[in-house]
Amino acid sequence: MAKMRVLFENGDPERIIEFDPSKAPFQHDGRAGSILDILVGHGIHLEHACGGNCACTTCHVIVKEGFNRLSEAEESELDLLDKAPGLTPISRLGCQAVIEGDADITVVVPRFTINAA
Amino acid sequence: MATEGDNSGAGATPRVPHDAIITRIVERAPGTRSFFLRLSAAQRFVFKPGQFISCLLPIGGQTMLRPYSLASSPGDPEIEICLNRVPGGVGTAYLFGLEVGAPLRFTGPWGTFILEEPPAAECVFIADGTGVAAIRPMLWRALRGPGAHPIRLHYAAVSRAHLLYADEIEAAARAHAQFTFVPLLGTPLTEEIERRYVNADHDRGRHFFICGVGDIVPRLRDLLRRSGYERRAVQYEKW
Repeated sequence: MAKMRVLFENGDPERIIEFDPSKAPFQHDGRAGSILDILVGHGIHLEHACGGNCACTTCHVIVKEGFNRLSEAEESELDLLDKAPGLTPISRLGCQAVIEGDADITVVVPRFTINAA
Repeated sequence: MATEGDNSGAGATPRVPHDAIITRIVERAPGTRSFFLRLSAAQRFVFKPGQFISCLLPIGGQTMLRPYSLASSPGDPEIEICLNRVPGGVGTAYLFGLEVGAPLRFTGPWGTFILEEPPAAECVFIADGTGVAAIRPMLWRALRGPGAHPIRLHYAAVSRAHLLYADEIEAAARAHAQFTFVPLLGTPLTEEIERRYVNADHDRGRHFFICGVGDIVPRLRDLLRRSGYERRAVQYEKW
């Protein structure tokens, strides 16, 4: 079993999800087994304006723990992350980053996930 | 009423839903429809060329989210989205079942694939199929520039009938000497782009804006970047 701890920069209470990665996808948006899939599939809202199609940055999350247990970011994700407000070296797009195996991940949902275009 | 202006996110937030009414539906090609939307006067909606909206569709007791590029320009009296009917797709099945007068709720605008100022360099737009929807307002914005640099639109479609907005684009090409329209109905897009912008010369100062559905978009991105174009000079959106 894998575990995801979700912290919210806006002060919402912390959530913890335990899940079986082999049961992915849990819902229809984003890559199967992605941070977005886990969150939305377990009833936690994460903005994803483009439907999880790697066409915006609204699902931007900061991965405090388990960053190296995620699939590698491809060029499309990296190009979009360049434009994410509040970008950090441990930022990922929730719709693209897939949790690999039974991992413990901690993510922070930033206060602003608006595409400030 | 759509109005032009800044949308830095500091004021109106794009996640607050807008409630629009469908005012017109135009069949642009077999299986391709434009929906024109109007907001009440009280609603303010500003966007930048290239952005998209997320339609909130009530389907099967749930709210399903479907993103569509804004094919209209900021300042147009109606908002336009243009989309293909997807075989077996519940989102487009719902939309294609709507009639004039029906409500449509959406959030936005979203997206960082934008063109705000006409580039101070040769500008190449590449559209594949309904990808032209996002390119259209970007093209009109680019044509507002002083005309000092060439502008090209390479537009690939499966048939002449599927070259959306062909008449107005051809008219723009006649009206603006710096603009060349290159429709592609048989020639593969990657071959054309490689011939003109990779093999033809060593000029790597051009700016590219690419939009389409599927792997053609990252293939074109990689072709151009690997040939020496600056990463940020190759902007794209893949659906």
